[in-house]
Amino acid sequence: MAYRPALVLGTAVLLALIRLAVELELLPGWIYGLGAALLLGVTLEATLRAFRLSLLPGLGLLLAGIGLGYSAFYALLLLLAGVGALYLAWSPQMSEREQAAFWGWLLVWPAVGLLLVWQVIPSLYALWISFLDRFNFIGESRFAGLTNYEILLTRDPLFWKAIANTFWFVIVTVPLGILLATLVAILLNEKVRLQGFFRTLYFLPYITALTAAAAVWDWIYNPEFGFLNWLLGTPGLDWLSTPKGIFALALAPFGIELKGFWAGPSVAFVAIMVMSIWHLLGYQIVVILAGLQNIPKEYYEAAQLDGASWWQQQRYITWPLLSPTTFFLATLGLIGAFQVFTQVLIMTPTGGVLQDTLTITLYLYNKGFRDSDFSYASAIAMVVFVMILALTVVQQRALERKVTYEA
Amino acid sequence: MKLDLRSAIGRLFLYLLLSLGALAMAFPFYWMLATSLKSPQEAQQSRPVWIPERLKASNWRAAARLGAQGGSPLWGGYQAGRTITLRIYTGKVGPPPQVRIPSAAGAFFDPRAEGSQIQTRFREGYWEIAVTNRSSQSFRLLPLVVLISKSYPSYQPELPPDAVRSSGDDWRLEWVNIAPGALGYVLHNYREAWNAAPFGRYFFNSFFTAGTQVLVGLLLAAMAAFALARIAFPGKGAVWLLILATLMIPGEVLLIPSYVLLSKLGWINTYYALVVPWLASVFGIFLLRQFYLSLPTDLFDAARIDGASYWSQLWRIALPLAVPGLVTYGIFTFLGAYNALLWPLIVTDKPEMYTIQRGLQVFIGEAGSDYGALMAASTLSILPIVLGYFFAQQQFIQGVARSGIK
Repeated sequence: MAYRPALVLGTAVLLALIRLAVELELLPGWIYGLGAALLLGVTLEATLRAFRLSLLPGLGLLLAGIGLGYSAFYALLLLLAGVGALYLAWSPQMSEREQAAFWGWLLVWPAVGLLLVWQVIPSLYALWISFLDRFNFIGESRFAGLTNYEILLTRDPLFWKAIANTFWFVIVTVPLGILLATLVAILLNEKVRLQGFFRTLYFLPYITALTAAAAVWDWIYNPEFGFLNWLLGTPGLDWLSTPKGIFALALAPFGIELKGFWAGPSVAFVAIMVMSIWHLLGYQIVVILAGLQNIPKEYYEAAQLDGASWWQQQRYITWPLLSPTTFFLATLGLIGAFQVFTQVLIMTPTGGVLQDTLTITLYLYNKGFRDSDFSYASAIAMVVFVMILALTVVQQRALERKVTYEA
Repeated sequence: MKLDLRSAIGRLFLYLLLSLGALAMAFPFYWMLATSLKSPQEAQQSRPVWIPERLKASNWRAAARLGAQGGSPLWGGYQAGRTITLRIYTGKVGPPPQVRIPSAAGAFFDPRAEGSQIQTRFREGYWEIAVTNRSSQSFRLLPLVVLISKSYPSYQPELPPDAVRSSGDDWRLEWVNIAPGALGYVLHNYREAWNAAPFGRYFFNSFFTAGTQVLVGLLLAAMAAFALARIAFPGKGAVWLLILATLMIPGEVLLIPSYVLLSKLGWINTYYALVVPWLASVFGIFLLRQFYLSLPTDLFDAARIDGASYWSQLWRIALPLAVPGLVTYGIFTFLGAYNALLWPLIVTDKPEMYTIQRGLQVFIGEAGSDYGALMAASTLSILPIVLGYFFAQQQFIQGVARSGIK
């Protein structure tokens, strides 16, 4: 019988996926006939080579499923019932390997099917949409080739603004966050009393929703009644509506004028970055703390015997041995920077004055759901996909040799 | 630089640094909570009010007494036929205070103002303001404005006003609710926020979608992970490759096509849209596969020899032994689903289908400068997660630590 039960199951799932694609108008209707013929062939071949009466109910259900499934989507459940009935009839004669093949596929199909429908197909679909001209539900759209990409990469200052903001976000929050977290984790690792209490407090921001957290920070940054302005003695400073770049501000007293990218992230965006570091810090601390506890104590004892100072121990033992963890956090921070959205939407709903807090995801959201240009938004998504892929590969290559794995 | 953390000064420095950090981390939470208990005037001070008036126990008794007059001592009210008497201690008699009930902003006719009778009279040392509800309607709140002459050297209302402003020769005292009851007084902003938007529904939606996602997701991930870790089937390599490949797809790529697919299915503004796309979790499959691989093979071989099917191996052996992994996955998935804003923002635009984050986002837009209600709603939205965190801290933190180490 070989792997025929698993094959019948697989073909049945394939037919269901085809049916879904037809329902979504992604495939023409006749493909369903093709799939049905395939399923029919596979099933008949499997049942007729060793026909028994006990196979009939399963066969009947399967046939009914194929027939009804064309008009009514939910009739496809009959296919599953049919495969189940066939399996029950076959199972007494099935060898161990055939059992394994059937059960293996039966158990992975639900997850794999969902991944195909909601991850793989949408990704390919996004690629297709990005080649269309202003695809949305309102009008007809034509194939436009690479026009969207051409506009995006060569004529769209906002896109590059968003990329620059993402760049600044990574450059500021990733090193600063990891540095702060390492500091706190090293301190917490020093046999501190109340370690649990501190850890609980530091971790708290990470589990709170960004929506509420951003609302509080928005209130803290409030120009008239905000806590921060009271603390710093800067009444009336409107943090979140200040589009001036921080480098430009810092160097202005020396008569140096910086413009565009070199002006640096705006004050508003830095305010958002501070909030973002606050939100993620607890996560980074806990991960680094776990990394620290993996470093064998003997190294420190040996170093102490050799007369190494506290600082030297951190520099020559902790830091290198922690590098896999920091590397992991850096990669995560890089990917996370491309997804910054919630805090920006809450604190600067329009993307800030002069779009100075525009992030990639906010731009994509604006293009797709405010301007209803799904094609352009998909082109943004595709470019981001390629950028993340390229960056992670580069990062892997560049850091691979410098990262110390396994003590 | 020589820093010996074992010396006394080193320890002191260490604790000082840690406490300072903890203070910075915790402050936004304190500020959220404190603001949520403030009156508008307290919130809008250029100099921060550390402890709101509503948290002072001395005011609770007056709030309860006034509340009892209008309805209940806990939640107050302004029921039909009830009379609420507020005292303002002035010491000696002077110009009588002028009292009125402010009508709601933008309303031409306010039944509360029309149907009430207001009397003021001087007793020993205090002015007594009696407001009687002559209408047949009951109200939740009774706002009040009292103008009292500046000629009094001092005036001491029984319940501190929510705002005091100067108005010509008078002080203008404003109460958002003169018959609050003890809880109604302290939790005024919470009650107003709760009544301003269907937060109950939002909470239900969030819990329902996150819960379904966790339960069904767990089942699917456990099944797939078990097959990948413990069953030798043809095509396993390809399945594993596919799962690894989906790891590389960033979330942004999926937003637009998923939205299009969901609209074509007619699933926008349904629970399906909030749940189904997130049911298969690569993270869960990874995590649980790792767990299953760490279990001894003999366990499964023995069960197989005893004739246990793969299904019962999954339920009887693999799942019970992988509980720590399941808990980690459950917490992460619940947190992710409960805290998500972008997805609900895209797939829901009807208040009945809003999750709590989506509802809060809309509320933030509508509340304007009512920071008390805004912070009350924010506090409410994070409350379930924070409570869960305090009860199951170890699981939260270990789960995160586990996700960081391969």
